[in-house]
Amino acid sequence: MQITETQSDGLKHAFTVILPHADLEQKRQARLVELARTIKLPGFRPGKVPMTLLQKRYGSAVMAEVADESVNEATRQLLSERGLRPAMQPKVDLVSAGDEKDLEFTLELEVLPEITVPNLGEISLTRLKTEPTADAIDQGLANILRSRRKEIEVTEERPAAEGDTLVVDFIGRIGGEAFEGGTAQDVAVELGGSGFIPGFAEQLAGMSVRETRTINVRFPEDYGSAELAGKDAEFEVTAKALKQFETPVADDALATELGFEDLEDLKKFVRDRLQRDLDSEARQNLKRQLLDALADRVTFEVPPSLTASEFKQIWDRLEEERKAGRLDDEDKDKDEETLRTEYQAIADRRVRLGLLLAEIGQRNGITVSNEEMSRAVFQHSMMYGQRQKEALDMFRKNPQAAEFLRGPIFEEKVVDYVLELAQVEDKPVTPEELSAAVAADA
Amino acid sequence: MSTPGFAARKRAERMSKESLYEVIRSPVITEKATALTERNQVSFRVAIGATKPEIKVAVETLFGVTVLGVNTMITKGKTKRFRGRPGQRADVKKAIVQLADGQSIDFTTSLS
Repeated sequence: MQITETQSDGLKHAFTVILPHADLEQKRQARLVELARTIKLPGFRPGKVPMTLLQKRYGSAVMAEVADESVNEATRQLLSERGLRPAMQPKVDLVSAGDEKDLEFTLELEVLPEITVPNLGEISLTRLKTEPTADAIDQGLANILRSRRKEIEVTEERPAAEGDTLVVDFIGRIGGEAFEGGTAQDVAVELGGSGFIPGFAEQLAGMSVRETRTINVRFPEDYGSAELAGKDAEFEVTAKALKQFETPVADDALATELGFEDLEDLKKFVRDRLQRDLDSEARQNLKRQLLDALADRVTFEVPPSLTASEFKQIWDRLEEERKAGRLDDEDKDKDEETLRTEYQAIADRRVRLGLLLAEIGQRNGITVSNEEMSRAVFQHSMMYGQRQKEALDMFRKNPQAAEFLRGPIFEEKVVDYVLELAQVEDKPVTPEELSAAVAADA
Repeated sequence: MSTPGFAARKRAERMSKESLYEVIRSPVITEKATALTERNQVSFRVAIGATKPEIKVAVETLFGVTVLGVNTMITKGKTKRFRGRPGQRADVKKAIVQLADGQSIDFTTSLS
């Protein structure tokens, strides 16, 4: 094997490799002998096919196979001998190949840069610590209570007040004519609630049962039905029954009904849930800080092909969104040139961080275990709700599908590892400050 | 001229180029046929009605060799049954041709 390096420019390398014909021929013969032992041809007992016949019939096919193999082998050998780690699949071009000639091919590749992991202990970060406020807990509790409220009929005679529900029949007319869909019976209208024509529910305030009232409303301009939009209508409304909601009181009895020990337990549940949300926000913020810090500390060169493919991915998605008219407000006013530069920078950063994290993970023996994988698969399947079982089956049947879950887990583990080493300072903040910080990142 | 087979030989030599191709059907490529090449003999499947002189002329002109002798045989087709009905496979005539010393025929290259 004869190797000449034709280019060595930063991360780019190119080689010309010549494989002598004699070597190939030898390999080919070996393959043919192998073939002769196993092949079945009509007219011959297995293993009795004469070599000359095989040579003539399968010679060139075997040669192509051998050449392909030798090229791969040579590439592998070259890479390992020189200690090159290719960023992507090397590009191989055959220069000359033939039955009697030496095999010559060129090899172009980009290697992964030497990554120096910055001193992780030097990184200092601020972890935003926060706890749910009493207000937030009360709010959460109130939400639970609201979902448990009961509707009861009001028996006493009293006018309808806000928060009540009136059961009504109505006949709607436009210009004296009843219109389609304008007449209905036993409709529950919540006073002070939304979901009706503006002004409709409001004008029912103070009605008592068995009272009939005529009200005038104007359909909004953007009403769902074009025929009615913007028209004035008259409704003759008869109240049939009055109902009100009874919101349960937060006490131990309610807590038990919901499956908790007592009210304290319920409150704790609400608080824990809020705390979890806040924690995950805080972690996002911390991770962002960490990535920023890492990005600032590393300056190694990034293989252009990786950046290009990452950029292409981002750009394709952007194009798609632009076609669908869903471009971010922020990006709308920028011209193509600025957008390209911006996203180029993002792609560069992503690739750089990806390489760095992978390197840190590899050096410190961080791997994703099978249990973690199966847990992730399970969690992911939960998102499919009813079709959870199908999703699980899908992952079980083709393991490649699960591979794309591996990346994020690995990343999280590496981030955890780095966070252990880095100096993290806790800083108490209010929930509002936290969400402001998170919003500023995005 | 009263040599036996003289007329047949004369007729064979007058055959047209096209009918030569009709005579030779295909080479026989089997273990046995390959073994015969040791003795400089080659085997062909030939038209069932082809005569030895015709085969000789055909092989000599198509492959450009000298033929010393031709032996022929007819392998009878088997009786096969398909859906209970008896059927007859076609008979095949094979010819084993003795070539002159130092000559050979390469079956893998196509006929010109």
